[in-house]
Amino acid sequence: MTGSTMRVATDVGGTFTDLVCFETDENGNATIRTAKSDTTPPNFEQGVLNVLEKGGVDPAGIDFLAHGTTVVINALTERKGVKVGLITTDGFRDILEIARGNRPDFFNLHYRKPAPFVQRYLRRELPGRMSYKGEELKPLDMSGLGAILDDFRAEGVEAVAVCFLHSYANPAHEQAVVAEIAKLWPEASVVSSHQITREWREYERTNTAVLSAYVQPTAERYLKRLQDGLAGRGFSGSPYIMQSNCGVDSLEAVSRIPITMVESGPASGFWGAAELGKLIGETNVLALDIGGTTAKCSLIEDGQVKIMTDYWIERDRTSAGYPIMVPVVDLVEIGNGGGSIAWVDDFGKLHVGPQSAGALPGPAAYGKGGTEATTTDANLWLGRINKDYFCGGAIDADMESAGRAIEAVADKLGVDAAEAARGIVRIANNNMVNALKLVSLNRGFDPRDFTLVAFGGGGAMHAVALASELGVKKVVVPAGASVFSAWGMMMSDLRRDYFITRLVDLEAGGADSIESLFAETEEGARRQFADEGIDPAKVTFLRYGKFRYQNQEHTTEVLLPEGKVTDAELAKIRDLFHETYEREYTYRLDAPVEMVGIHLVASAEVGKLTMKPETLGDADASAALKGRREVDFALEGSHDSAIYDGLKLKPGMKFTGPAIIEDPGTTVVINPGCGVDIDAYGNIHIDMKS
Amino acid sequence: MSTPTNDPITLEIIQNSLQATADEMFAAMRKTAMSSIIYEVLDMGTGIMDAKGMLASSGAGIPAFIGVLDKAVQVIIAKFDKPGDIEPGDVFATNDPYYGGVTHLNDIVVAMPIFADGRIIAWTANIAHNSDVGGMAPGSLSGEATEIFQEGLRLPAIKIIANGEPIKPVMDIIKVNSRMPDVLEGDVWAAIASVRVGDKRLREIAAKYGTATFERAMESFMDFGEKVSRAALADLPQGTFELSEEQDDGRTFNVKITIGPDEFTVDLRDNPDQSANPVNTSRDGVMVAAQMIFKSLTDPYSPANGGSFRPINLLTREGSVFHAKEPAPIGFYYEIELRVYDIMWRCLAAHMPDRLAAGHFASVCGTFIGGIHPDTGRQYTIIEPQLGGWGASRQGDGNSAVFCGFHGETYNCPAEINEARNGLYVDQLRLNMEPGGEGKFTGGRGIVMDYRVRADNGFLTAGYTRSKFPAWGVEGGHDGSPNYVEFRPKEGEPERFAFVSGLATHRDDVIRVVTGNGAGLGDPKERDPDKVRSDVKNGLLSAERALEVYGVKV
Repeated sequence: MTGSTMRVATDVGGTFTDLVCFETDENGNATIRTAKSDTTPPNFEQGVLNVLEKGGVDPAGIDFLAHGTTVVINALTERKGVKVGLITTDGFRDILEIARGNRPDFFNLHYRKPAPFVQRYLRRELPGRMSYKGEELKPLDMSGLGAILDDFRAEGVEAVAVCFLHSYANPAHEQAVVAEIAKLWPEASVVSSHQITREWREYERTNTAVLSAYVQPTAERYLKRLQDGLAGRGFSGSPYIMQSNCGVDSLEAVSRIPITMVESGPASGFWGAAELGKLIGETNVLALDIGGTTAKCSLIEDGQVKIMTDYWIERDRTSAGYPIMVPVVDLVEIGNGGGSIAWVDDFGKLHVGPQSAGALPGPAAYGKGGTEATTTDANLWLGRINKDYFCGGAIDADMESAGRAIEAVADKLGVDAAEAARGIVRIANNNMVNALKLVSLNRGFDPRDFTLVAFGGGGAMHAVALASELGVKKVVVPAGASVFSAWGMMMSDLRRDYFITRLVDLEAGGADSIESLFAETEEGARRQFADEGIDPAKVTFLRYGKFRYQNQEHTTEVLLPEGKVTDAELAKIRDLFHETYEREYTYRLDAPVEMVGIHLVASAEVGKLTMKPETLGDADASAALKGRREVDFALEGSHDSAIYDGLKLKPGMKFTGPAIIEDPGTTVVINPGCGVDIDAYGNIHIDMKS
Repeated sequence: MSTPTNDPITLEIIQNSLQATADEMFAAMRKTAMSSIIYEVLDMGTGIMDAKGMLASSGAGIPAFIGVLDKAVQVIIAKFDKPGDIEPGDVFATNDPYYGGVTHLNDIVVAMPIFADGRIIAWTANIAHNSDVGGMAPGSLSGEATEIFQEGLRLPAIKIIANGEPIKPVMDIIKVNSRMPDVLEGDVWAAIASVRVGDKRLREIAAKYGTATFERAMESFMDFGEKVSRAALADLPQGTFELSEEQDDGRTFNVKITIGPDEFTVDLRDNPDQSANPVNTSRDGVMVAAQMIFKSLTDPYSPANGGSFRPINLLTREGSVFHAKEPAPIGFYYEIELRVYDIMWRCLAAHMPDRLAAGHFASVCGTFIGGIHPDTGRQYTIIEPQLGGWGASRQGDGNSAVFCGFHGETYNCPAEINEARNGLYVDQLRLNMEPGGEGKFTGGRGIVMDYRVRADNGFLTAGYTRSKFPAWGVEGGHDGSPNYVEFRPKEGEPERFAFVSGLATHRDDVIRVVTGNGAGLGDPKERDPDKVRSDVKNGLLSAERALEVYGVKV
């Protein structure tokens, strides 16, 4: 050991594979390196090895390696998984196709229901039934299993999904079938629904098992090649893999159930926002991540991200999509990013997105043949983005193309180009405001009680306008906002979320069964961690209960007080539920309360980065001033504004808007009157004028 | 007084916010309701009306509820027309089709006036199906009813909350009239919470942009809806189209549709007198059916508002099945509304084959099952519409197992939740393998679902149409298959029903729900042989029928 510690995060995205490396010496002083290289489908691990080399990182010296990948979501959306066979309860093979029967696009008589991932001839049944209480009503009959597996083999099936009715309450039948398949067909990849989730709703659980089986061989192979590739370059440890629940997990655990990686991309950024909030004493955070094609947001209350299992892919106003019942950070995503295209409909109304110009041709200003105006073009046109420092100076802004594209929009609207550009920015902002309202106001939270943390390439460009619209008092743009997700990954704990459906009346006598469910689940979690070499004493737990008034369906999740659940505690828990419920829905009822299930969070620290503050200096911000220009702030008019070089801003510097901060990855737009100061970690704090 | 802005971007932003508000009201109601028909089936709708009760924005839910709320609010406005009748914090309710309720007594509309600058600037409202509102039968719906008085408690557009305070006697009367008083109370409060969420949001928007601009935005949004409708109307084939169709119960329904450059006229005057059975609908109900088909033909992809429907001209005859007079029973109004919807669709399909598919199972297939849950001793009531097959179109095969055209963003109840909540087992839920719907493109499949009853002294009520005459094929495609309930008692012979009321059920009796396959389109002999082979491999078709119907040897 050299006394210094090297922590590395690599993130495989759609276009680029990113690297961030923190090297901390024995005094806690960190040096940071970043690198970017092309993503290399289908051998994504090659891109990871490339970026390590490009960044000059020797894998042999890495102490902690976190890794995020889109390999699972890509396999799903591009339909590049394997052929799956499904084994389910007698009488229910069609559940996967029947789904829930909804038609979101209800006036459209040509609606297409999403096709199931397993065709009917590969959906097979076995007799045997459990009750909702987990009692066996009819024994499992596996006499037909051999023939089913023969058919699967003959049809080229590579992975088998097993889902039986009520397996969330009693998984014995699923376990028996999985064990038998391992005997009869050891080469097959097999997953059963209870291994992924212990919650009810058979269509959602069946589909989850099927999609998990669908990506499993692909993801497993990828993770194995990654591990081998890193080992081949001398890395002696094992990478931790970013999960959709904002935690990391061991490569071994993820290889068993890779579907949990499905939404890991956004999760690391939101976790980063939660950790940053704790670091700077702002624990109520509205986190906003604006990229090229989408904007995503999530709400963090008291330092806690909200994790749910109500996750769907390909679901929108026109399609029912597909459910995946795994723990995923509660987020709202909209088709509004820097590359979103502005268009005018047949009736003269302006829209922005969800179509995106992508990386190619990209915004018109890229000069790569794009003819449609994007949000980025409008930001350039208004002087918000510096045309002479476009993409950190990497691209010469083609203002002529941008102008033509915006003029085309302006003509259709019957206004001038500047007005059209302002309109594009305002509509884009409004779309994002509505998304932020969905995660705050719609859930009963007042955005004025939250700090907006904005990151991604475009977050800081829009954050101040959004904050002003929502009444948010403070905006924070983290240091290194464009590689913030990778930073979040390095701050992640090993984390597992357990959701289990169990109906218990919240009445005297109910506490024992709640406590024993928590205790058993905690014991299982500790055992699992211990098997992977984690000291059980280091595992910490958060206990949530999911409650509702009797007869309701949807539940309200409540963080339970520390300590054992006893009958004496039930009144306190009921009060917490009433309180949370009333905040969200404006009223409470004098009705019996029942628990529908638990949500247990188990986490353990694994080599998390500790940030060291610098001393706040008294240097004047003018040292970072690089010029002045006219900037159009849309609703707040056009102003001669100070332009600061983000790389030269030092802790302790202060100034006031109108201003722009430019650094290679992002542009921060600061409206007139807003106060800016740089904190001890290099984060930019923007106080909204009151 | 503020002056309204004409800035199109500001108006657009307000309109987006109205949409977001209607959606937020929907989410609030869904999450707090106590009846599975509300929270799971989503038999509900939300909307925002202007001060005159015109629909400015509608939330998600089911298309058949979009056009209900404006009619209810207009009746409330007309009834409470004196100064002081309507004050800030008031909340109103109606469920009676003879008092603006449009549908049937189970559906309670809750509406709240929104005040700014000392006057009403808008209304928020919602509608939802309540599990039991009294009347002669559990669940309030009975095929035996001969007067509306037998179908539950009537709320003739009344105030339930005054200045923010519940009017306790009224709330008590509502509650005590239900067989499931706690559930009804919970659902009414969910509805109140939802209109209040909308109230808060709309007042914020009005305060931010100014009342005049807020009102201008609503007005321009509706004008925009009208503009879109009129542009699309001009693209439809012009002329007069007629259809007569025999119904399962022997009545014949007639429709005449005239499409002109400015008007879409639906003439339903030539139809039978109202029935003594609850198979009538209000005129407003038929209007909703006309609005649904009109919207699907003109602008299916964007949300509806009052302006969208302005070109519709509806002609009905008071006292007829489509314009019932008090006190005609209307419990199963939705099947009649669907029949009107379906005959309009069928009438036009022949003339617009690219826009309209072959017939679908076209029945709500409302199924009502109740009894005592043997594990808890509590009363349970299932009230559910069913999934069925949709018709083939020129674009391809029809969808299997989706809700009918009356419903939309509606979810079926998972068997696992059904078994826990209700005292029965779901023995199977499969696609319907009966013949029907063959064609160049095939109809989607209906379902077969078995409920096995776990305790004695339960009941079954159902009302299905298209049980005798199934979904209609086009261009040589075969008709679909019928909708029906098959009661399979533990002892005795199975019995098949389309309508049944209060049938007693006992332990281990099986209630089998069978819904129809959608109709086919085109000659089956023209079907792509690869698709036929794939159907056989998937067990949807036997090798014999493949040869017989499609001429394909497998």
